[in-house]
Order: sequence, then structure tokens, then C-alpha cells
Amino acid sequence: MKHELFPWLILFLPLLSATVIALFTLRSKTISSLISIGAVVAGFVLTVLFISANGFHVNAETSKNWLSIGAETSKNWSSTDGITGLQVDFGLKLDALSLMMLLIVTGVGGLIHIYSYAYMDEDDSKARFFAFLSLFTFSMLGIVLSNNFLQMFIFWELVGVSSYLLIGFWYGKPSAGDAAKKAFITNRLGDFGFLLGILTIWGVLGSLNFGELQSIFAAHSATLLSAGVITIAGLLIFCGAVGKSAQFPLHVWLADAMEGPTPVSALIHAATMVAAGVYMLCRVFFLLNADALHVIAYIGGFTALLAALIAVQQNDIKRIIAYSTLSQLGYMVMAVGLNGQTAAMFHLTTHAFFKALLFLAAGSVILGMHHEQDIWHMGNLRKKMPITFITFLIGALALSGIPPFSGFYSKDSIFAQCLEQKNYLLFGVAALVAGLTAFYTFRLFFVVFFGKEKSDHAKHAHESSLVITVPLVVLAVFAAIGGFIGVVNYYGSQFTPDHETLTFVQQLMEPLKTPVPMCIGIAVALIGIFLAFSIYKNADTDPLPAKLGVLSTAMKNRFYFDEIYEATFIRAHDTIAAICGAIDRFLLEGFIIGIIRGGTDLSGRGLRLLQTGNLQTYAFLFVLGVALVLYFVLGK
Amino acid sequence: MNSSFLTLEFCVIALGIVLMLADFFVLPERKKYLAYLGIAVLTGLLAISFTGDGICSVFGTAFHGSFIEDPLALFFKRFFIAAAILVLFLAAEFSDRIIAGISEYYSLIVFALAGMLFAASADDFAMLFVSIELITITFYVLVSFQKNRLVSLEAAIKYLILGALSSAFMVFGIALIWGTTGKLNFGELAQVSSQFLDNKLFLTGVLFVLVGLGFKIAAFPFQIWAPDVYQGAPTPTTAFLAVGSKAAGFVLLLRVLFIAVPQVTQQWTCLLITMSGITILYGNLCALPQRNLKRLMGYSSISHAGYLLLGIVALAGSAGKSTDGGAAILYYLAGYLFTVMAGFSVIALVARHLADEDISSLAGLNQRSPFLAATMTIAMVSLAGIPPLAGFFGKFLLLKSVIAQGALTGHHAYYWLAFVALAGVVISIYYYFGIVRAIYWSKEAADLSPIQLSGGAKFSIALSLAGIFWLGLFPNTMLNLANEAAKVLGN
Repeated sequence: MKHELFPWLILFLPLLSATVIALFTLRSKTISSLISIGAVVAGFVLTVLFISANGFHVNAETSKNWLSIGAETSKNWSSTDGITGLQVDFGLKLDALSLMMLLIVTGVGGLIHIYSYAYMDEDDSKARFFAFLSLFTFSMLGIVLSNNFLQMFIFWELVGVSSYLLIGFWYGKPSAGDAAKKAFITNRLGDFGFLLGILTIWGVLGSLNFGELQSIFAAHSATLLSAGVITIAGLLIFCGAVGKSAQFPLHVWLADAMEGPTPVSALIHAATMVAAGVYMLCRVFFLLNADALHVIAYIGGFTALLAALIAVQQNDIKRIIAYSTLSQLGYMVMAVGLNGQTAAMFHLTTHAFFKALLFLAAGSVILGMHHEQDIWHMGNLRKKMPITFITFLIGALALSGIPPFSGFYSKDSIFAQCLEQKNYLLFGVAALVAGLTAFYTFRLFFVVFFGKEKSDHAKHAHESSLVITVPLVVLAVFAAIGGFIGVVNYYGSQFTPDHETLTFVQQLMEPLKTPVPMCIGIAVALIGIFLAFSIYKNADTDPLPAKLGVLSTAMKNRFYFDEIYEATFIRAHDTIAAICGAIDRFLLEGFIIGIIRGGTDLSGRGLRLLQTGNLQTYAFLFVLGVALVLYFVLGK
Repeated sequence: MNSSFLTLEFCVIALGIVLMLADFFVLPERKKYLAYLGIAVLTGLLAISFTGDGICSVFGTAFHGSFIEDPLALFFKRFFIAAAILVLFLAAEFSDRIIAGISEYYSLIVFALAGMLFAASADDFAMLFVSIELITITFYVLVSFQKNRLVSLEAAIKYLILGALSSAFMVFGIALIWGTTGKLNFGELAQVSSQFLDNKLFLTGVLFVLVGLGFKIAAFPFQIWAPDVYQGAPTPTTAFLAVGSKAAGFVLLLRVLFIAVPQVTQQWTCLLITMSGITILYGNLCALPQRNLKRLMGYSSISHAGYLLLGIVALAGSAGKSTDGGAAILYYLAGYLFTVMAGFSVIALVARHLADEDISSLAGLNQRSPFLAATMTIAMVSLAGIPPLAGFFGKFLLLKSVIAQGALTGHHAYYWLAFVALAGVVISIYYYFGIVRAIYWSKEAADLSPIQLSGGAKFSIALSLAGIFWLGLFPNTMLNLANEAAKVLGN
């Protein structure tokens, strides 16, 4: 393997950047942002150089022993004696999966960094923003490169912390602070399960290293995969993905997290953080057995449907895209559950392109509209913001799955996976969601870019600067062609050993191999677009609520999940907390602590009297001590 | 006799003589910088101890077996040299407060270091006594060096008289051992000591040697001198006393207990457990109402002697089968070195113009010098044993070794000792964070003038901080070294 140092540099440059900004350059906006952009762009360049030198299939690990407690050798899972030692490495896993993710995180992330340079220009805390961005990038790269569960968990939590900082970046707004807390706490709930899963794995198998675990599973697949404890471990680990990838029932944080600045939404909620859950599932796919996969598939399918329905009746431009993210993540999780890691990672990759594009284009619209986010105050923006318009259209077509845009290919591979597994229920759900996706995407599109200007801001909107439009154009290119530039080959070779490399034309024609899902996919997408066109072409207000009635209200209020959680879990939690608080304050602090603390303090004051400062006393006490020890040893 | 074993010792003694003679040739205003000459030479020696082929990597004995070079000795020699380097940095900062004879002060530090190096290699009772006297007598002078401060002289007198008392016990103990067994060499004694397990004169002799060593490490009930001497001595001396002198006591304790008289030690596990527990509680409880920083550090150093005794207890209980306790002691000492040096550096720099060294003198430090404020905070947090700093991992290893011993033997005493140690940690958090609170949340700060730091001070503090974080975050390198050195203590 050439350039062994590069992956370490890629990982640690953003940390260095965050440290330098936090310690030295917080006063200079320009220098700070350039340092941060430099770190991630350098990471991208190094990734490209590393891949061009080694290819995608290095399958290497470089690791340093970080800490070992107990015996040097880790326990063999089949031995009967107790757990003998914990060995923790700090290592980097390099294979097609992690290298592709590196490209996405540094590539898409780099574009978002550049975009932020202009987007955050008026903000006084721009330097702090870039410090947080770098910290976030470091954490995300850490997840991607980890070669063991414990290290991944540490970075997993770091992503949680840095996303908390970014979502709550405008902490002056109470809603931003609340959203940050909600995201963090909801994620922690999932992470608790994740940690339990990791402990279970360690307790049963005695190793946390992915490579070692995989070989243990390969050697004992029959006994292990049918064991109940492995199902439990798999589901607990899936809890982590439920939190990070915002699956039902922990999906509630993602839409609120739109309170962060738009580049943050693009970075966290399109390309990186929410992808971490899906990535993790693919990384540890070998330990998920059929029962666990079944649950995963249905949770994913349900989330996809739920989020798509909610998105239909949202009016905030960012929230619509956020719910579509949820829905697409549901697709990916469902694909993992249906044994389709390649399809899941393929969709994750194309989704990173077109969803980052949609978020950034929405950010451009929001800038042009002077921070107005309600789509019913926009309208007719296509002439005033032509580049944003075109790029948004490309993103919308990709999201809706219209050929030959990237989303069509990845979504089609998920559909094909449903049919291959003969799961017709989930196929039906997937097709329905595809129709809904096209509908709400083009509802947004027509309302924002066509019709009449619905406010003064819309009349005076203007196109954004080059620093903003250039990343849009780059992302638009990839959103358009991402389906047939080889992505599927790299993942395929990782997950299916007998995968044959497809040529360019083969990739282009791949969907034709399975004509049924392809035709259904295209048809529902076109129906969705047509419906959106006929309803919203010139609409000034939304005609749907009148037609759908109660259903529309339910969709608009996100099926009352927040309210239900508020009334049950949060209420119960508050009650328990109040009881614990009372016990703590009166019983523990007042009574028990009072006695212990008072007693300790008193004994300290008493003992202090021994130290008189008088030398004769000291000598006497010394000899007394000798006598005491002599008696202790010889007196009995 | 192979004199190459003594390379480090010869070089250090030569350095001490050079520093003393330099007094005649160097201009008075430049004498301060002689410390950097010492630092340079010692850094060179430290490097040689790691890389010099055939100088430090060859093990064996000299002087008819009274001097031994083994991994344990090497570990402690590196430790002592590193400690002396940091103390010399501190002494250079402190030089303006020593009226006359700063070059003598430096050379005495170096001579004390020579004593410690011999202590690390002592393999019989004569060498033990000579090396410990070399350390102690040098320290009598070092403690009294601020001749214009009455407290400094008072501390020196107390240290001298109590030290003489403990030496008397020790030499009496050695005489009893020799009288009963006819052996002075540790290795030879180990072969015959099992015949004397019922001989009360022999046991009294061993016990008196322990009294002398207990005095050096300030363990209960021989701790009584520590607060007064720590408070009165010049700050660099206090730092060296806390780190170097204590570690010298521990290396000799390890050798006597586990190489010379292992069978006796096993019988005395109960005594050691009691001593350890009471030392921890005594140090921590007395520190609670303390307002003087250096006196507080004195009590804190007593409690740390107690924590270190946990490792001795684990070793004694395991009867040479496991050396985890020994490795934990070595690791803890390494972390303690960096932490204490960082803490005393801040005390020396902040209390520069204040006659008293009260906790309140730290008020407003975060405005006067954020660097020093952060350093003091990190040092206190590490002493309290909070991750991810050096103090945490050291305490973790010590407690783990004791609990492992409890699990192995099933004796409840080990668990009680671990519980007492944890209670001690909780109590200590109160006064360590009292210091942190004084730095950041004091209402009235009399003096808010910025503190200027010299390059040397910044460098040495940064070095200590790096050490604290390194040992806390990347424990493996040091743990391997400690394990290697502790193997000597097993059988």
C-alpha cells in the first residue's frame, strides 16, 4: 500500500483546523474559513491521490494499539473462561466502502464548506462556524475510517456533539437551542442501544474489531447467526442507526434540526451524519441475521412512507426537503434489510449529491428571498434566479427518479432488490413513496419557481453570487450523471464477491434488465409530477387541505408524533425527574450528605489539631507511631 | 567490577562539581543561567539512557553485589533525571528569591539526584543507607536555602531533627538485621530470611528499616513532618521533595520488601493495608480545611503516598505471582511527576511577590495569565484522578491491582481498602476543586496585573502538560516500560 500516511492526514487535518481556529484565529473570519476549507479540500485531494495510487480495493487496515487492559490476547468466543482482557486499537479500515465514503464526505463536504464561505459571510461568528464544521468533518471521517466498534462509537458521539453545536449555532434563537437539544437527546436514546449492542458483542465474542468479528462469523456462521443473542445484539446496534439516520420512532429530530444554518442542513442531513447509520449497518452487515434484517426492512419501509406523507403538506422549503431526506433514508434502511447493501450504499451516494444540491439551492433561494422560508410567499423565481432554477430542477428530477438522472438508477436498484427478495408489500410501499416523492418535490418546485410572485421579497429576489452557484453547478453535474459513473461497481465488489465490473454502457442499460420495477418506477414518478403540475401550476394557496380534510391536517402536524411524545414520554420523564429531584434535594443532600459532609469536615478540623507545629510533639508522635507499628506486628 | 554501570552516576556527580566550581568563574548576574547548563547535560544523559548501547542496556551488579543495574533501577534513574530537569527549570525561575549561592543551590539539586540514582541501584543495606543519607542531608540544606525567611529555617530544623530520628531507627534496624542474619545484601538475605520469620529481633530490624523508609515517603504514622516542611521550604525544593525524595523512598521500599524479605512482607500484608488506608484518609481529611497552597500540597502528597501503597499491598498479597501492583506504582509516579511539577511551577510563579502562599492569591489568575490558570486546573484535575489525564489512569491501575488481588484471594480487606481509596478520591475532589474555584470564580481579586512568563517557564510547563495528557491518553508506551521494570519484583 502506497501513501500509508495519507488516511491519517485526511482524518486529522480537520481536527487540526478546528484546533487552530479555536485557539488562534477566532478573531479573523477570512483566515478561519480558509483554514477550514483548506483542510477538507486537502482531504479530498489526498483521498483522490490515495485511490489513484492504490485503487479502491486495498482492503487494508493500519492500526495502533491504543490501550490494552488485562491479558494481551483477546478472548476466543468459544472458550469457557471469563472475559480476560480488553484491547482497544485506534485503527483505520481502508476498503471500497470506506474510500467511497471518504470521497463523499470530503467531496460533497468540501463543496458545502466553500458554499458556506459566502452563505455565512454576514454572520459575526463565522470563524466559530467553521471551527464547528471542521470538528464535524473530523468526527464523520472518524466514523467512516474506524476499524472497531469502540472507536466508531467514540466518533459516533463526537458527531452527535458537533451536530448539536451546529444545529444550535444561532443559539440566540430559542427554537435553535431547542432543536439542538432535541437532536442530541434523541440521538443519545439510539446511542444507548448502540452501546448496549457493542457491549453484547464484546461480551459474547470478545472482540470489537470488525475484521476479527467478520472472520469469527465466517467460521461459525451456522451457530452464531441462529443464536438469539445475536438477534438482540443486531437490533441493539440497529438502534444506533435508528437515531443517527432518523428512522421511526426516533425520526422527530431531523425536521426540527432545520433550525441550523442551511449549509449545516446540507452537510448533516444530506451527505454525512444521517448517512452514518446506513453506513454503519453496511459495515457490520455480517452480524445481522435474518430476524434482525426483517425488522430493519419494515422499519425502513414504514419511515419512508410516513415521511413522504408528511412532506406533502409542509410549507417550509427546508422542512419539505428534510422530510424527503427522512423518506429516502427509509429507502436505504429498507434496502439494507432486504440484503441489498449495494443498492443502499448506491442510493446513499446519489442521494448525497442530489440532496446536498437541493439543500444548497434552497439556501440560495432563502438568501435571495431575504431569509423567507415559506414557499407560499415565493413564486415565479425561475427568471430571477436562473442558475438556482436549473440546478434545482436537476436535483428534483434526480430525487423523483426520472431517467437518466442519478436517483433513477439507485432507486431502481432498490426496487429490483424488493422484487428479488419477493417482498411485494415493501415493493408496493416503495412504489407509493416514489409517487409521493415526485408529487411533493414538484409541488415545491412549481410553487417556488412558477406562478405569480406571492410577496414583495419574491418580486425583488436576485441570483446569488458565484461562490454559491459554482458548488450548485458541480453538484448538479454529479446529481445528473452519478448513476452511471461506476459507483455501483465499487460497492458491488465490496459486498458481492462474484460481482462483475460493468462497463459504462452496461451501467446505463442496467435498469432494463429488470423492466417491471423500472416501468412502474417511471410511471409513478410521472403520475406524481403530472398531479403536482395540474394542482400547483398557478396556485396561490394550497387546494389540498380542502380536498383531503382531516388527513391533510394530520400530515401538516406530522401525524402528531411530537405531541404524542410530549404527552407520554416527556411527561413521564418529567414526573420521574421531579421525584428524583425531591429525593436528591431533601433526603440525599439534606440528610445523608449533610451528615457525611459535616462529619468529614469535622474530622479534618480535628486531625489538623495534631499538626501543632511543635517539634517535641512531632518527635513524640513519630516515636508513638513506631511503637504502634511494633505492637501491631509483634504484639500479638 | 564493571564501572560502566555507573556512567550516569559519575556524570551527574561531575556535573554537580562543575556547577559548584562555576561559581568562581561566572559573573553574578549570569549565574542564574547555570541551571540551563545542568538541564542540557541531564537531557543528554536522559537521551543516553534510552539510546546508549552498552551503557544502560547491560544489566548486572557492581561493588560486590551492593550496586545493581536492572530494568527497575533504569526506570527510576530515568524518572529521577526527568524530575531533576523539571526542578532545575523551576529553580531558574525561582533564583531571584534566593539571596546568595544560587549555583550551590543548583549543584545541591544535582547531588541529591546522584543520591537518588544510587538509591535506585541499591542492592544492600549499606548502599541503601548511604544513598538515603546523601539525599536527606542534601535536602536539609536545600530546605533551608532561603536564609532570609524564618519559616524556611524552621522547616529545615524540623526536617533535620525528625530526619535524624528516622535515620537512627533505620540504622538500628540495619544493625539488628545484620546481627541476626549476618547478611546485608538483599539477594543473600532473601535466601536465608525464611529461617528468621519467628525471630523477633530480625522482624524488629526490618520494621525499623520500614520506619525510615516510611518517613521518606511520608506514610502514616511517619507523615507528621511533611506539611510543615513542604510549607516552609523554597518551592523548587518542595517540588523535588514531593517527587524525587518520595520516589527514592518507594524504590528502596520495593527492593527491601519484595527482593530482600518477601516472606516477611507477605505476613505483613495486613499492616500494609492498614497503613495505606489510614495514610489516604489522613492526607485527604487534613487537606480539607487547609488554606495555604504548599501546606495543602503537603497533605495531598501524604494521600498520594497512601495511593501508592495500594500497589505495595497488591504486590505483597500476590506473593510475587503478579507484578501489576508494581507496574501501577511506577506508572502512577510518572504521572505524579508531571502533575506535581506543573502545580508547583504555577505556585512558584504566582506567589512570586506575595509573602503568603494562600489559596486566595490565585484569585483572578484566569485574567492574569490564562495559561497558568489552565495549567493549575489541569494539574488539580489530574491529581483528583479524573480522565483523560495521567492521574486517572494511574489511580485506575492501582485500584485495579488491589481489586484483582481481592478477587483472587477472596479477602474482604482488599475491597475495603479499595473502598477507602475511592472515598479518599471523593474527599480530595473537594479541595482540589476548591483551588480551581479560587482561580475562576473568586469575587475579589486584589491584583489583576498580567504575569510575565519567561521562555524557560513556558517550556517546562508545556512539557509537564504534554506529559499529563500523554500518560492519560496514550498509556501504552509507559505501561510497557513499567511492566518491564516491575518484572524484577516477581519470581
